[in-house]
Amino acid sequence: MVESLYKPEEAKGLWVYLEQTDGKLEGVGLELLGKGRALADALGDKLTGVLLGDGVEPLAREAISHGADEVLVVENPRLDVYRTDTYTNALFHVVRSHKPSIFLLGATPNGRDLAARLAARLRTGLTADCVDLGIEEGTGLLLGITAGFGGGILATIKCPNHRPQMATVRPGVFPRPVPEAKRRGKIRRLDVPVQESAIQVLERRVGAEADLTTAKVLVIGGGGTRGDFRLLKELADLLGGQLGATRVAVDAGWAPREWQIGQTGYVTRPKLAIVCGASGAMQFTVGIEGAETVVAINIDGEAPIFEYADYGIVDDVFAFLPALIEQIRRLKH
Amino acid sequence: MGAMAEVTFDDATWERLFQITGGVFAPCFSCGVCTASCPWGLVGEGKVRIRDLVRRIQLGLDPDSEESLWLCTTCAACVASCPRGVDIPEGFLALRSQAWREGKVPRNLHAVLWAVHWDANPYRRPPTHRPLWAKGLEVKEFTPDDEVLYYVGCTPSYDRRIQKVARSLVEILKRSGVSFGTLGERERCCGDSIRSFGHDAYLRRYVEGHAKLFAEVGAKTVVTTSPHCYDMFRRYYPDLSGGFQPLHYTEYLARLLEEGRLRFTREVPVRVTYHDPCYLGRRNGVYEEPRKLLQAIPGVELVEMRENREQALCCGGGGGRMWMETKPEERFSNLRVQQAAETGAELLVTACPHCITCLEDSLKVVGISGLRVVDVAEIVAQAM
Repeated sequence: MVESLYKPEEAKGLWVYLEQTDGKLEGVGLELLGKGRALADALGDKLTGVLLGDGVEPLAREAISHGADEVLVVENPRLDVYRTDTYTNALFHVVRSHKPSIFLLGATPNGRDLAARLAARLRTGLTADCVDLGIEEGTGLLLGITAGFGGGILATIKCPNHRPQMATVRPGVFPRPVPEAKRRGKIRRLDVPVQESAIQVLERRVGAEADLTTAKVLVIGGGGTRGDFRLLKELADLLGGQLGATRVAVDAGWAPREWQIGQTGYVTRPKLAIVCGASGAMQFTVGIEGAETVVAINIDGEAPIFEYADYGIVDDVFAFLPALIEQIRRLKH
Repeated sequence: MGAMAEVTFDDATWERLFQITGGVFAPCFSCGVCTASCPWGLVGEGKVRIRDLVRRIQLGLDPDSEESLWLCTTCAACVASCPRGVDIPEGFLALRSQAWREGKVPRNLHAVLWAVHWDANPYRRPPTHRPLWAKGLEVKEFTPDDEVLYYVGCTPSYDRRIQKVARSLVEILKRSGVSFGTLGERERCCGDSIRSFGHDAYLRRYVEGHAKLFAEVGAKTVVTTSPHCYDMFRRYYPDLSGGFQPLHYTEYLARLLEEGRLRFTREVPVRVTYHDPCYLGRRNGVYEEPRKLLQAIPGVELVEMRENREQALCCGGGGGRMWMETKPEERFSNLRVQQAAETGAELLVTACPHCITCLEDSLKVVGISGLRVVDVAEIVAQAM
């Protein structure tokens, strides 16, 4: 096996990559600081955040209040937006000169891209998409727990001989720590050469919809909506959720195919699924089997959807939703 | 024909493709009847070009379209017309096994296999809920003294619509005085989803374990609801119990009818047409038994669609397509329900859970009224 670029004996400290977009930290970075704090304390080690970008230093304070002892900041106009080459080169330089023992990154689209590149260049392993992290007793090795296809199998992976021990974690796996404004830490600006990128950003477009499979709240419409998703949208927006649809609603042309949930659509695992006017055919319920809480609204009290629902409302969707929306609004104020 | 392209041949690829497909494509002489008979040609020109694909494998070139590999419903319409008897669907499934090794598999399919692994059904439903379909019916566990083991199957166990088919079958068996039992919570998926996704490595292991269960309980005559489970047991399971005989329920009921055990007492005056499920008809040659049952029912008038028996049009649900989305305008079942409507029948009768699901969906999508989809078992039970 190829050796990593530095040895376990030289490695020290636990690092968290602080991904930022348009001058805002991605939530997963803060979540990792929370978990990283606990792991670093268990190891008796320092927790370091790594921040790359252009004009991003103010974000370092936020990282410190969320648990970092120290934040390494690399600023350069060439790092204004994420590009695979510039970010990999800069981060590679930082890792090689400071030799962390553990390096955690968020499994966002860019985080995955960066982590994989970096791991290959450092000649080390990468435990991708961890659902939990731990420290092995005795050895102090990082344990990455990952789920197999569809979440069926859990594997615990460690990286005993190569450094850094790298892992990515999906957003939402760990809770975001409560910030302590008074926490103190060091901010270190690093001078890292950044070459010009071979990649030219021609245009940036932000998609209108987030990924249904990672949505926390789903408001799903079926045949009973008769194609009117306006109230559902209002409810989804209030709850910070996404819209989904049954195959019936998609086939009828009321919703795009990308919203389809079920056997031939997306299989989702939201914390909350509000199912409006769907009878609950098995081909649909397969797609919400992993939901923590299912609320069903259907005018037909005999509809099979009520067998899946934790809360069932037998009423017309359009009679019930306005009242629900009003109540949520009131509670929010 | 597409544009001319430069290709490079190498022996290693040729050998690999030959091994994977077991040489199944070797007898092909490129007449093209397969492409012409493929139902995909009815909904979109050039979507699945079977002849081109077979020729590529013969020459030692990897498939040029990942998509068409997963579109095949394994309906075997091509096999029925092939003058060289090439088992084209088996070749397609073998190529899917290569796609698994390369990780080029449509999303969702991994999750289905994990569901089979953990929950013994492809729908992620709890195994403990499996016997709930029979609520209130008093269906007992199978013992070796029973005449038959009724193998219910996943879709009839968990799908509310198809549960009605299983319940009808139970009524028929009871009224015919057949002693039978099921495996209850111990029943497992037959493995058709694994096979139709082309995951041959998992399939081998799965079948081995499952076949032992049948031997353990001493099951000989096994009657299935679905032609897919029937096909699995008949073609892919070893006989470990000595005399393992899988039957589709239409075969078994036709036998009961002949023996005079199954008797009709009620008239059902209705015009029906029968849709041959691919896995019952073309794949296993069961064409006449369901028709005999229907024709024996007093009052039933059976009319044929223009494409019937070997020529029957697939519903689109085989070959794992139940777990992959098909655009509304590309669903074979839309055409099939129109063919059924043309006969003037009030009932479109079939004998496969996947066919029922697809055909019922298409009635809604196409908007045909005055036609209902029922299972042979449902109309037989009604007439007893």
